[in-house]
Amino acid sequence: MLSFSHVDYSYPDAASPALADVSLDILPGRYVVLLGANGSGKTTLARLANGLLLPDSGQVCVEGLNTATPETLRALRQSVGLVSQDPDEQIVSTTVIDEVAFGPENLGLQQSEIMARVEQSLTAVNLSDFAERDPNTLSGGQKQRLVLAGILAMQPQYLVLDEPTSMLDQSAQHDFIATISELCREGHGVLHITHDLKIAAAADSVVVLADGHLVFNGSPSELLARETDLVNWKLKFPVDKPAVSPSRCTISTPVSNSSHTTLQLRDVHFSYPSFSDRPITVLKGITLSLEAGSYTLISGISGAGKSTLLRLAAGLLKPGQGEIGFFSEQQSGQAANQQKPTPVNPGQVGLVFQHPEDQLFAATVAEDILFGPLNLGLISAGVREKASGTDQSQKLVAEMLAAVGLDASTFGGRSPFTLSGGQMRKVAIAGILAMQPRWLLFDEPTAGLDAVGQAFVHRLIADQLATGAAVLVVSHSIDEFQDRVDRHYQLSDGHLQLYSNDCLKADPERCQQPEGDS
Amino acid sequence: MAFIAPFGNYLAGKSLLYRLDARFKLLLLVSYLTGLFLVQSWLGLLCFGMLLLAAYLSAGIPLKLALRGLMPLVIILIFTMLANAFGFVSDTNQTLGFVSLIGDFGFKPWGALRGLYLALRIILLFCASSLLTYTSSLVALADALVSLLRPLAVFGVPTEDIAMVFSIALRFIFLTANEAERIMIAQQARGAVFDKGGPVKRAKAWLPVLIPLFVKLFRRADHLAAAMETRCYQGKGRTHRRFNRIQPLALLTSLAAAGAFVTIGVLL
Repeated sequence: MLSFSHVDYSYPDAASPALADVSLDILPGRYVVLLGANGSGKTTLARLANGLLLPDSGQVCVEGLNTATPETLRALRQSVGLVSQDPDEQIVSTTVIDEVAFGPENLGLQQSEIMARVEQSLTAVNLSDFAERDPNTLSGGQKQRLVLAGILAMQPQYLVLDEPTSMLDQSAQHDFIATISELCREGHGVLHITHDLKIAAAADSVVVLADGHLVFNGSPSELLARETDLVNWKLKFPVDKPAVSPSRCTISTPVSNSSHTTLQLRDVHFSYPSFSDRPITVLKGITLSLEAGSYTLISGISGAGKSTLLRLAAGLLKPGQGEIGFFSEQQSGQAANQQKPTPVNPGQVGLVFQHPEDQLFAATVAEDILFGPLNLGLISAGVREKASGTDQSQKLVAEMLAAVGLDASTFGGRSPFTLSGGQMRKVAIAGILAMQPRWLLFDEPTAGLDAVGQAFVHRLIADQLATGAAVLVVSHSIDEFQDRVDRHYQLSDGHLQLYSNDCLKADPERCQQPEGDS
Repeated sequence: MAFIAPFGNYLAGKSLLYRLDARFKLLLLVSYLTGLFLVQSWLGLLCFGMLLLAAYLSAGIPLKLALRGLMPLVIILIFTMLANAFGFVSDTNQTLGFVSLIGDFGFKPWGALRGLYLALRIILLFCASSLLTYTSSLVALADALVSLLRPLAVFGVPTEDIAMVFSIALRFIFLTANEAERIMIAQQARGAVFDKGGPVKRAKAWLPVLIPLFVKLFRRADHLAAAMETRCYQGKGRTHRRFNRIQPLALLTSLAAAGAFVTIGVLL
């Protein structure tokens, strides 16, 4: 049994404890899902499970071994395997086989035993054919299964999985969870930590962590019945307000004079140079038009070329073939096809990258937000300069922070690195909005966000649409976006095609497969 | 993203050279290079060329791949040839076929031949070293080096840690380069310009890339350390899935081949 009894844990300098009086038992062969919003203490709990952190009070025991006993920690860690969110932060070797052998090698096992475990583990995660590959050449889903194989080679009784699927696309998520279920049937006790309510359905039991307290322990059906609590625990957001409902397509508010201009991609092809013989062709003739106030979703599996498409549309990459730019409607009457586009300059199209918080760098939030506007010459002075124009800058910062729901007087002067992950993401988005782009492109904007964070993103997009901006989202979370957008395309095998709803309803699994794969 | 090739040259394969213990491959390479530098004749050079060709064919590595790898060396090769082909006649006693350009300075046919010889030697040196990296993963090479360093552990050299540092560095160079590229493009999307202005301005333009990059790297380091601890890494008491036993036949064959390389070098 893996058991937490009355565990408290506080980080140094933290105002409130990360975990308070948490008690939880995981039995072999049981699949327990632990749900919690961002910042609820999930990762802390995962790190306590195998002694990476030690509780301030209470104890964590595995088959009678206490994590606080240094002499048995090694045995305990063999018993409890930990998989966390980002596979790239867990893989240490440059071939798949070495990666799986890493743990057994650390245990000082004989060569024959190491190889037996490696084979067994690779088979369990279905990666036997990849033994000699460089992990960098694997897909995200394969990498995460490789991490799992590396843990399985330690032959643990318990698996603690900390958001293991949050960076994977839907089909890779299915594969991963299927593997986990199989391991559970074989007798492993599993603690799967997530903020995704959907994952709870497959569990034997569910526990909920909110602000460091264990607030629920029961079956998935019992949990789903508790609507109000789910909202309080930030696992679910109340149904959207009317402003964001699909009827918003009929918005008739007049917008700026740019409304007759569309951002278009016409027959765009793109290949990456490759060090093998042929270049890697990602896009094969993409045609797409983004009108003012329109909301478009592009879905597709990881590696389908979604991010490349966004970089092209934002003018950050040049297409191998085809045209990208602004076309204005007035002239398009006669010979739209012959018309030359106005090229996209930085800032005109705002691109919100996946994990935009990774691009923050300045000493203060205000300076970071003004980085774009200063580069583009939209404002004349930063906030710290003693020049005229400072008022204008301060006003812009205040407006932009308000747009993302942060207070300028509290946050403007703080270092972005003292903020929480969610706040950092908001500041990064404010920095894009500050360039006042009329076209906004989002790359997986809700990845890794809990229900509250997701609701924030949807609200922000709705606000931007209401001002007449065109929004394009690429995401593999189809369910989350498809009822909100005007158009939904699927990108597969380098081509865009309108996504068919009927197909989704009939057979959601198959819709996510790339073309020609079935 | 496919912007940057995976670090290292390793091409997955199953032929004999792949399966050979990387320590022996290192031994073979060192003896091959020793022989190559001892050789004094065109016949000897030809011998070494044929040996390498045979090795490439048996490993199943396409020759054009090796030749493509030479591209960065082209300038050195051209320089080697030119520097030998042109010069002052008074430098040597040979005058056969000298074509004067300005006084004593001119084209020396015997020098051109010597330049060609040196260039070919560089090509062989490079291709032989490449063959090692094509057929051995960097991890295997790192392990081999560590295995050869192992006797130093007696003197307190932390050979296991050195091996680990090497392996992690190899893996993260690729990831870090990708990360840097991603942040760079993100800042470009915010209007950052990296290639305009004087050196100070250019250096400052990189701050918005370097700062987030380091922040991310420190976070990564923390997570990686946790992942390694989870799998009981202690920096000592490790075994290796390779190298536990030296295969006598492979050792004898390798030693014989190594001896042959040096012998050819001395004789020809």
